[in-house]
Amino acid sequence: MTEWFADNFISILNGLAIGSLLFILAVGLSLVFGMMDVLNLGHGALYLIGAYVGFQFTGGISSWGGFLTALAVAAAFGLVAGLILSVATEPLVGRGHLDQALLTLGVALVVAEVISIIFGDDVQNVVAPPGLNESIQVFGNTYPAYRLALIGVGAVLAIVVWLVIEKSSLGALIRASVSDREMVSSVGVDNRKVKAGVFAFGSMLAALAGVLGGPVYGARTGLDETVLLLALVVIVIGGLGSVRGALIGSLVIGQVESLGRANLPEFASFMLFGALAVVLIVRPRGLFGSKVGAP
Amino acid sequence: MSAEAETPTVDEPIVPSPGSTGPSGSPGRRLPLGRLIAALLLVVLAAVPLFVAQFPTSMLARMLIFALLAVSLDLLVGITGLPSLGHAAYFGVGAYTAGLVAKHWTAAAPIPLVAAVVVAAFAAAATGWLAVRSHGVFFLMLTLAIGELIQQLSESWSDVTGGDNGLYGIPAVEVAGEPLVLVGYVYWYVLIFAVLGFAVIWAVSRSPFGAALRGIRDNEARMRSLGYSPFRYKLAGFVIAGAVAGLAGGLLAVQQQLVTPADLGFTTSALALLAVAVGGAGSLWGPAIGAALVVLIRDVYGPDLDGHGTLVLGIVFIVAVYSLRHGIAGLSTTQFRRGPGRQTEKADG
Amino acid sequence: MTQPVFSRRNALGLFGLAGLAATAGCGSSVGGGSSAGSSASGGGGAIKVGLVIPQDGVYTPLGVDMKNGWDLFLERHDGMLGGYEVETVIGDEGEGPDTGVPAIQGLIQRDNVDVLVGIVNSASALGAAEAVAAAKKVLVISNAGANAVTGDARNPYIWRASFNNAQAAFAMGEYLASQQPEGGVFLMAPDYAAGQETFVAFKASYEGGGGTIAGEALTPFGTTQDFQPFLSAIPGSGAGATFVFYSGGEAVSFVQQYAGFGLKDTVPLYGSGFLTEGSVLEAQGEAAVGIQTALHYSTEIDNPANTEFVEAYQEAYDVLPTCFAVQTWDAALVLDLALADAADLSGDAVSEALGGVGEISDSPRGAWTFDGQSPKHVEYLREVQEGDGGLINVVVEELGEYGQ
Repeated sequence: MTEWFADNFISILNGLAIGSLLFILAVGLSLVFGMMDVLNLGHGALYLIGAYVGFQFTGGISSWGGFLTALAVAAAFGLVAGLILSVATEPLVGRGHLDQALLTLGVALVVAEVISIIFGDDVQNVVAPPGLNESIQVFGNTYPAYRLALIGVGAVLAIVVWLVIEKSSLGALIRASVSDREMVSSVGVDNRKVKAGVFAFGSMLAALAGVLGGPVYGARTGLDETVLLLALVVIVIGGLGSVRGALIGSLVIGQVESLGRANLPEFASFMLFGALAVVLIVRPRGLFGSKVGAP
Repeated sequence: MSAEAETPTVDEPIVPSPGSTGPSGSPGRRLPLGRLIAALLLVVLAAVPLFVAQFPTSMLARMLIFALLAVSLDLLVGITGLPSLGHAAYFGVGAYTAGLVAKHWTAAAPIPLVAAVVVAAFAAAATGWLAVRSHGVFFLMLTLAIGELIQQLSESWSDVTGGDNGLYGIPAVEVAGEPLVLVGYVYWYVLIFAVLGFAVIWAVSRSPFGAALRGIRDNEARMRSLGYSPFRYKLAGFVIAGAVAGLAGGLLAVQQQLVTPADLGFTTSALALLAVAVGGAGSLWGPAIGAALVVLIRDVYGPDLDGHGTLVLGIVFIVAVYSLRHGIAGLSTTQFRRGPGRQTEKADG
Repeated sequence: MTQPVFSRRNALGLFGLAGLAATAGCGSSVGGGSSAGSSASGGGGAIKVGLVIPQDGVYTPLGVDMKNGWDLFLERHDGMLGGYEVETVIGDEGEGPDTGVPAIQGLIQRDNVDVLVGIVNSASALGAAEAVAAAKKVLVISNAGANAVTGDARNPYIWRASFNNAQAAFAMGEYLASQQPEGGVFLMAPDYAAGQETFVAFKASYEGGGGTIAGEALTPFGTTQDFQPFLSAIPGSGAGATFVFYSGGEAVSFVQQYAGFGLKDTVPLYGSGFLTEGSVLEAQGEAAVGIQTALHYSTEIDNPANTEFVEAYQEAYDVLPTCFAVQTWDAALVLDLALADAADLSGDAVSEALGGVGEISDSPRGAWTFDGQSPKHVEYLREVQEGDGGLINVVVEELGEYGQ
């Protein structure tokens, strides 16, 4: 057992790093869906915006100034984009998921094309800031320092988001909206504002994930679709609408993509969606599913 | 094409009573304008190869194939209320089956197509048995997973499928021993079976069985209390939709003489679903036009737009959501319908 | 016949189908009469070429390079190929055969081109083979490297001015067999046709030369952003070298992660040349320095044709050329030679003339010949080094000539 652990230590560590990134990416998608029943297929495009903002401000040069600027700009972009999406989906309330999918995927296609027109289709590189832009020794294994930092950032964000949603009064309002929208609006709270707030917050996290993921995944055409599918798998496996579900889903998929692939490389191509299918067949509403998501 | 143009004028009440004789009990109550348009459209479509050059003819054949895929998906999405994001899997299973049969056994019509329908139906039965137990977004995701797994299989099983290079060198379909080489003849072959496929879906949706599917969509609990087994009905609907998608796939193998993993991937599934949404779920003919529109933008004009076909597609989706409340099919309610009190049924699943 | 067959506005309406049918009215598709080229009847003077390149999706950068190579050749030859005035019609190949095959069909059936050039994706090339043969048009491929294109699935109309997937891997296998890295070689490639072909070719020459494979991994194609799970197997395998085939986005991620996980300094990295070709090299940055690859081209090849080509290319586009630009330049070059000899513009005549071009002596990649319908050319061993204006692939040695 200890030998197995030693052999797979790096893979487990790496699964945590990927899981952290996935959590930052997916938690917004999960909350927006859980709260307002909006299936945002434009979520991957928000990540892509972040990735290209990261590229724009670091420009292949390792610097804290550029990296932090990129984070700030991406956050601003994300907030605005989230507000716009919230307003744009407002007329679709009560019209079913299909129309939302049509709208948000349309937006995603447009955003991705516009980015490709602005930046071209070359693969772009995002460099980690100084100090993290190198590899360090972890128990005799060489490991990129940036990914270790990513685990830390993910953990901090997970705690912050959990505290906000589970412990603050604002969070209580959001959770109440998830479970009973009519009740919340009947006590005089404007549902649309709650929705806009959550949408903006979730979108900001997705754009931040784009910058944070830059040094790992880079910035390139088609990344939006890959990332969207990953995020969808994460939130569905975990169970929609809860911070805990997104966290568990992220950690599970992080390990599936890392530990799973390392140990069963011949099934690597089938692993992600195989895991999703198995979970949904055994637990039709995800591991920690609530009533959210069913018609 | 008779199926698509006719439906809106003869919509039936959506909740059936178990003893209902079904929609066929009410013909001739209205002027058959829909039938007239359908017949006219069929004549125009049949005459196309006589007057139209090769390229537009082969593009029309592609539109018919993709339209058949969208209509079969509409049986799930619009009629049964099951939004599938993996429907292209059965399209692809049919395409590979037809291609393999034609390549290794016989290209004599309609054997490859029959094989495509049968194998796709089996695939749909095996996977649908798992999928239709879930609901809403979870159904969406489970079908996505199944679709992605089947696509992965087509990429990995390269001894049989040719992997990423695709199944190439599929011989031309043979009718009475003669291979159909000219684009126009291939088009007619596609047209005949596409119309047959439309007719099947149309007949199913108008039958008492189709009414029961609508009932399950609108109120599953009520249908269960009336003695229906929603699981069996949904599974049957899933298998029929899969079989017709397989037919469309078989036609793709004929028209394209090539099948690749991209044909059954996420993009194809998503575009089919969006074609249904753009066209207006539940109307059957709307999704067919939606599918034609998608092919038109992506394959006909896309290559001339310096690669920005997807940009146009995205804009069309956005505009459609806001301007067409019930998709393209919604337009006809104001144009053709004068009858009192008849409204299209709920168009979004 | 040359103007667009139908207008956008009509067909995009509600009755898209009917509109399309109504406005498309010219000719018929059951008469079979339109296979004669549009300009062939004029008795020479002009040729219409369909250039099929990706303008959308992940292969777009290759499409840009290919178009540059094509345009540059024409510009420097007064817009003529073999005495014919060239009209170029561009078709968008997109990412795969689902868009590539209709683009090729469109160029043949709608635009009535005389010759086709281009194609990045092998699946598109294989998928279009039937249509190309049925229309009896010559297609000169300027990238797609699947062996089957000019092998199992060959037909007389499809020629290739680029490479086949096996060549670089086979050359590198021989080279590494001669180097005998201690512990053998670890193989990695994406799990799709080109990756699998690379594996087969590398093993054939490397194991044939007495080498041992320390381990191998086929990574999921298109969905692998993180190579760590596969890289983690390398140190334990005891391999003394790694050989990989990656291109585009995967090449960037792979090279950076290979360095990031500390493997670059302990297990030297070798590859097929696409690993460090063109814009990916810039994105890889310092992580790429020292990587050795085999390819049929490098900007650093020392011959007069290449010197002139690189200079002209840099002047025109302000970047260094890539093998993709050279391949399309060479497609124009062989057409230039063949068309001068061809009796007319029919596919049979052009194909016959291509078979008779002999040695193509003034290509930037060095002299090459057709072996069957695919090039036989020199593979160069290249090493990534810091140059004046950025990273370059320095030619270390010639690995010999390789054919179909």
